[in-house]
Amino acid sequence: MGVSFVKVYRANCNKFILDNMVNENLVKDVVTEPYKYGFVTDIETEKIAKGLNEDIIKLISLKKEEPKYLLDFRLKAFKKWQKMKEPDWAQLGYKQIDYQDIIYYSAPKQKEKISSLDEVDPKLLETFDKLGIPLTEQKKLTNVAVDAVFDSVSIATTFREELAEHGVIFCSISEAVKNHSDLIEKYLGTVVPASDNYFAALNSAVFSDGSFVYIPKGVTCPMDLSSYFRINSGDSGQFERTLIIAEESSSVSYLEGCTAPMFDTNTLHAAVVELIALDDASIKYSTVQNWYAGDEEGVGGIFNFVTKRGKCLGKRSKISWSQVETGSAITWKYPSCLLLGEESVGEFYSVALTNNLQQADTGTKMIHIGPKTKSTIVSKGISAGNSINSYRGLVKMGSKATGARNYSQCDSMLIGDQASANTFPYIKSQQPNSEIEHEASTCRISEDQLFYLQSRGIEFEEAISMMVSGFCRDVFNQLPMEFAAEADKLLALKLEGSVG
Amino acid sequence: MQSKMKESDPILEVQNLFASTDNLPILKGVSMTVYPGEIHAIMGRNGCGKSTLSKIIAGHPSYNITKGNIKFSGENINSLEPEDRAQSGIFLGFQYPIEIPGVSNLEFLRVSTNARRKYLNKEELDTFDFEELVKEKLELVKMDHAFLSRSVNQGFSGGEKKRNEILQMALLQPKIAILDETDSGLDIDALRIVASGIKKISNAQTGIILITHYQRLLDEIEPDYVHVMADGQIIKTGGSDLALELEEKGYEWTDNLIKET
Amino acid sequence: MEIIERIKTNKLIDNPTDIQKICLNKLQSNPLPNPKSELWRLSNKSKFSNFFEYSANEKNPNFDIPYHSNPKDIIRIVIGLDSQILLKKENYSIQQLNRDKLDKYIKQKISCFDQNEHWSDLLNLCLSSEKNILGLKIKGSKIPPIEIFSHALSNSLKAKTLVIFVEKDCDVKLLQVNLGKENSSLSQSTFFCLEENSSVNHGIVSYGERKSHLLNSLNVIQQKNSEYNLGSLHFKFNYARFEIRIKQSAGNAKTNIKGMQITKNNEQISTYTKINFNGPNGFLDQINKSIANDKSHAIFEGLIIVPKIAQKTDASQLSRNLLLSNFAQIDTKPQLEIIADDVKCKHGATISQLNEEELFYMRTRGITLTEASKLQLSSFFQEIISFIPISKDRWDLLDKLLNEN
Repeated sequence: MGVSFVKVYRANCNKFILDNMVNENLVKDVVTEPYKYGFVTDIETEKIAKGLNEDIIKLISLKKEEPKYLLDFRLKAFKKWQKMKEPDWAQLGYKQIDYQDIIYYSAPKQKEKISSLDEVDPKLLETFDKLGIPLTEQKKLTNVAVDAVFDSVSIATTFREELAEHGVIFCSISEAVKNHSDLIEKYLGTVVPASDNYFAALNSAVFSDGSFVYIPKGVTCPMDLSSYFRINSGDSGQFERTLIIAEESSSVSYLEGCTAPMFDTNTLHAAVVELIALDDASIKYSTVQNWYAGDEEGVGGIFNFVTKRGKCLGKRSKISWSQVETGSAITWKYPSCLLLGEESVGEFYSVALTNNLQQADTGTKMIHIGPKTKSTIVSKGISAGNSINSYRGLVKMGSKATGARNYSQCDSMLIGDQASANTFPYIKSQQPNSEIEHEASTCRISEDQLFYLQSRGIEFEEAISMMVSGFCRDVFNQLPMEFAAEADKLLALKLEGSVG
Repeated sequence: MQSKMKESDPILEVQNLFASTDNLPILKGVSMTVYPGEIHAIMGRNGCGKSTLSKIIAGHPSYNITKGNIKFSGENINSLEPEDRAQSGIFLGFQYPIEIPGVSNLEFLRVSTNARRKYLNKEELDTFDFEELVKEKLELVKMDHAFLSRSVNQGFSGGEKKRNEILQMALLQPKIAILDETDSGLDIDALRIVASGIKKISNAQTGIILITHYQRLLDEIEPDYVHVMADGQIIKTGGSDLALELEEKGYEWTDNLIKET
Repeated sequence: MEIIERIKTNKLIDNPTDIQKICLNKLQSNPLPNPKSELWRLSNKSKFSNFFEYSANEKNPNFDIPYHSNPKDIIRIVIGLDSQILLKKENYSIQQLNRDKLDKYIKQKISCFDQNEHWSDLLNLCLSSEKNILGLKIKGSKIPPIEIFSHALSNSLKAKTLVIFVEKDCDVKLLQVNLGKENSSLSQSTFFCLEENSSVNHGIVSYGERKSHLLNSLNVIQQKNSEYNLGSLHFKFNYARFEIRIKQSAGNAKTNIKGMQITKNNEQISTYTKINFNGPNGFLDQINKSIANDKSHAIFEGLIIVPKIAQKTDASQLSRNLLLSNFAQIDTKPQLEIIADDVKCKHGATISQLNEEELFYMRTRGITLTEASKLQLSSFFQEIISFIPISKDRWDLLDKLLNEN
């Protein structure tokens, strides 16, 4: 303890600089780019009426031809939600959300049954093309299977046959409800119960679509799986739900990306993600979140209230969350791990960058229940502009967690004198034979470092983005390759104009 | 070999010892006997179990003896607490001496010396008498008096830590000293100081086990027996020439020996 | 909860002073702190309500100071007993504040109290009778060490208030001792004001006996170039709560805090600290240690606030905790709220048990497990105890602690 982070960081920074001298042009390219995902796709959509009540929920369920248990699940959740209060403990300042002014179901109009990608509306394919997620057979990304979600529905899932050969199920959750109903009924809501929190209850009542992954016993998923979420309508909320089940000795890496057009209204996004890992299974869940953040005056942007939780049910199971959070006007998100199985492992690696008037309140919960469980938390917060960036985390050692260990490191970097960085770690232990270690520091980019870079001919803004990505290196190293590069670019882009 | 020594009873007998940690077997049947006045060396690659053996003899709580016995002065000590072992005269020189911030070295040395003296029915020393004793012993390892006022091992260099170990050995006057890689991390001068300290402390009644990778400590202190360990077993025992042979042929030679057995 | 009832019905005291009236007024609508707020969330509700089990009578104020030797070079004051204090020496003076000035100061303080945050102070000032409020003004140099006692006798609830102004360029060593006898409750509120260039070494030793309770609130304002050092120790209370609020009113000041709480049996002791930097170049070095044994519960919540104005703040906060039993609990929450960008802030927290490798090392040298644990605990204590002024020379606190733990 008591290690001066600043020193270590400087050392890392310098190393990073040397490593990345070559990449400087890459960074330069991006600094000048605006939010390039802000376009709207002009497509005929089917929307239901605004507002939320039992009839709307029944309508959603009907449209999706759901079995009765699921409708009951939704209605029960809705009843709970009605009795709950919107949480205010994060002290986020935002305009009251009018839940009756939101459209809870919006889908691009297309043919009833689509048998192949060729039948998908070309406009949609074009949209995903523009987002860098080509879906068509000729262009699709190699080695990544993609489930593309447009507003409330899943458009297409690539590589399905290849995955099926290995017994891996990767489809939209609506499809899973139809084809794998037993799994849905068994697992849905077991990690994040509807009553968990206000937004989880809302999601449970109205969730539209999302991804479903099932990895059978002993299978290592042959490729990364990915979902890409796109909000297109300005007045509809997005409530997707993801469920990933990794059976004994299986493993999977799952990526999630998100963008939205620029609207001057705020769009609500309240997702739920549930992960279940059985004995010796491992799930790696990576997110690059780049929802529209609103403009410099704080007008518009996505309200991102997300509940993500994984259950390490089996012995030696492992769940690893890594996230790069750069978008949204408000982020409220705590990907967590329930460590039940003996020797199970939870990890959380996070970079959260806020600029202008963005607010991020993010962190994790590591609940150690089983013996010899281990968790690692590495969080890097960067706040620029007038933004507020908070880390909020809970580490709990239950009374049976003998030999459990946790290590947390939360570092903040401030850019400009109007931004704020907060750290709220809650630490609780009921087991003497366990160890918790938490370290946090705040620093800024030092003038010495800047001068050093500039004296080597590096432009000011470039130097900043280099140092920022050096600061985040520990986390980027955890991201899958394609994501890491993208994350780097994203940060540089976001910081544009925030210094000077 | 030197049968004259075996007229007296052995100090330490390790009999077909099996031990594990976290259900992972580490020792797989180790036997050795040390008589008064003998110097034994145990050599072997990293991870062969030599450090584990030393810790188990000293009573480290993380290891379980699953089979076999450790006898000290004829008595089975398998379930004896580490402090009882130390008080009765077993000394372990640590490979990595532990830093204990906040606990003064002087206080630490005094409490442990008195614990041993109490066991030997000797009078316990007050601070004043103890300082006298320490002064004398500091000479042996050429340590400065200032070491005493610092926290135990905290901020000590590698060499200083090892000398502090030998100082403790000098104060506790053990019947058997197991020195785990006491030579590692020492420059040649420090090695000489440590070696001469060990020689001065030991006598015809003391047994010594040197655990080491290299010949250079054995150049300073010539062992009566050399044991080569691999995969939790002693695979070969010989005289001091065995160490030279090992130095010459390298550990690959022992790897082949394992394959043969 | 008789007192709370009396607060609600406005029948607390027969002849309330202005200050008591103001506080009573503030408390009436919400006589108890909000149990859901962060500051009170973990507080044991039944233990907290035990605080109010005793009546706030004024009889029998005599009490035995735990040690009688009173060397001449130490000034000793017992709040509530020593009525008139005026010490004027060649190079210093310790003077009781006049009542009007004191009242004015306290009223002004109350006017900026947040009901929930300063609940303990409101209760204190509501209950503190005039003679239990001591105001001192200290100036000069070469001031002898000062000891100030607050105490609650068996079967009583006492409230004591201390207001201290430390004048410019003044250097003071002050030990505050809070004693809770068996079955008692003590409410202690302290207000410190450090003028420019002053320096205070403040010690707080609070210890109770069986079923004793303590609400200890400390408010410190530091002017420029002042230095405030606090060493504190709380132990042996069924329920104790120590709240520290420090404000560096214009930055450029130094604050060092080393605090410790020890809980046993089923005690609950908590420490809440809030350090506010209201100007640039502030310095903070804080360490808080907890040791929890048996079925006890130790809590630490620390908050450091660095607003935009507080550039070049250098703050560090460390929470180190030892959990010694399977049934004990430790909660710790070191928090940072930072807006200024050119700052160096770090915090850390650890919860563990005694270090096994260190224990083994000592045991291989013949030291028994019990003794080795004591040595380790004593090194854990030593850092804090050596920071408490006066006590270390004359109190065998360390021994006392070690023998009791």
